[in-house]
Amino acid sequence: MRADSLDRAWIILIVLSGGSAIAASLAGVGFDRRIAAIFVLLFALIKGRIILSRYLGLSQAPTWQRGFTISLTLFCLLLLGLYMIPAFMV
Amino acid sequence: MIPGACERTLPGKSSPTSHHRQGNRPSGGITAKRMSHQQPQSILEELPGDLMIWVLIISELLVFGAGLAAFLAVRMTDPTGFAEAQTHLHSTGAALNTIVLVSSGYLAARALQFRRVSRRTAARYAVVAAAALGVVFLVIKGIEYGDKAGQGITYETHPFFTFYYLLTGFHAAHVVAGIVLLLLVAWRDEVGNIEIAGAFWHMVDLVWVLLFPVIYVLA
Repeated sequence: MRADSLDRAWIILIVLSGGSAIAASLAGVGFDRRIAAIFVLLFALIKGRIILSRYLGLSQAPTWQRGFTISLTLFCLLLLGLYMIPAFMV
Repeated sequence: MIPGACERTLPGKSSPTSHHRQGNRPSGGITAKRMSHQQPQSILEELPGDLMIWVLIISELLVFGAGLAAFLAVRMTDPTGFAEAQTHLHSTGAALNTIVLVSSGYLAARALQFRRVSRRTAARYAVVAAAALGVVFLVIKGIEYGDKAGQGITYETHPFFTFYYLLTGFHAAHVVAGIVLLLLVAWRDEVGNIEIAGAFWHMVDLVWVLLFPVIYVLA
């Protein structure tokens, strides 16, 4: 049986969730926390985009999908910026 | 001919492309023009499902987004304290909860597909399974809260835990509401109902996907 776009979306979400857990655990064993944070937020952004696109059906509404992607990207950059400020101050 | 083209032609008025339909095969350019008539009249019509559920989704995202940004802004005043407080969290349980919620969202999306092709029983099973995974999420969350209570950690222990309880508790309340909605649409299983409950559930899923890294990983 061939996997459809919903199956693929779910598999990618599971893989990315595992990726987030690995990045988080790497940060706990001495890996640069700032780089781990970039990966974790990037995975969150991709997961959010997949949920909007495949689960919520925004792939059928490209204008809205673009708007949500831009807003989510800016939000993740804001979070990353807020996270990085103390890291650079230490 | 493009399906629906005739419906858009007013009675008694000929379509600009009607001569093509009577004889000549339309060229690619004409086809493109016809397709432009098929586009939604306003950008709001492009949105899948009910407009009001999207108003709710955007509102909720803004509320949680503001909460997460405030969390990281307050963290700037005490990054060491936030990092120490975070060590008391179960990041493995939270990561497991991410898998539980995205799987639950998958089942809710699948239920809508089943219902659209009139597979009502399969749709109902998928909706109930999605709700059951929501209960699993709450059980894991309850264990986590119980552990914090056992350690004597309350919302007053540290600003980290004030945000932790506020954001994860508010999200858990949405999970409860989502489970109730899913069980309701398992009973009243019209396509529109499943679509709206599913959209709410995906919003809960989306919020968790953003909340998890900030609370459990970044602090």
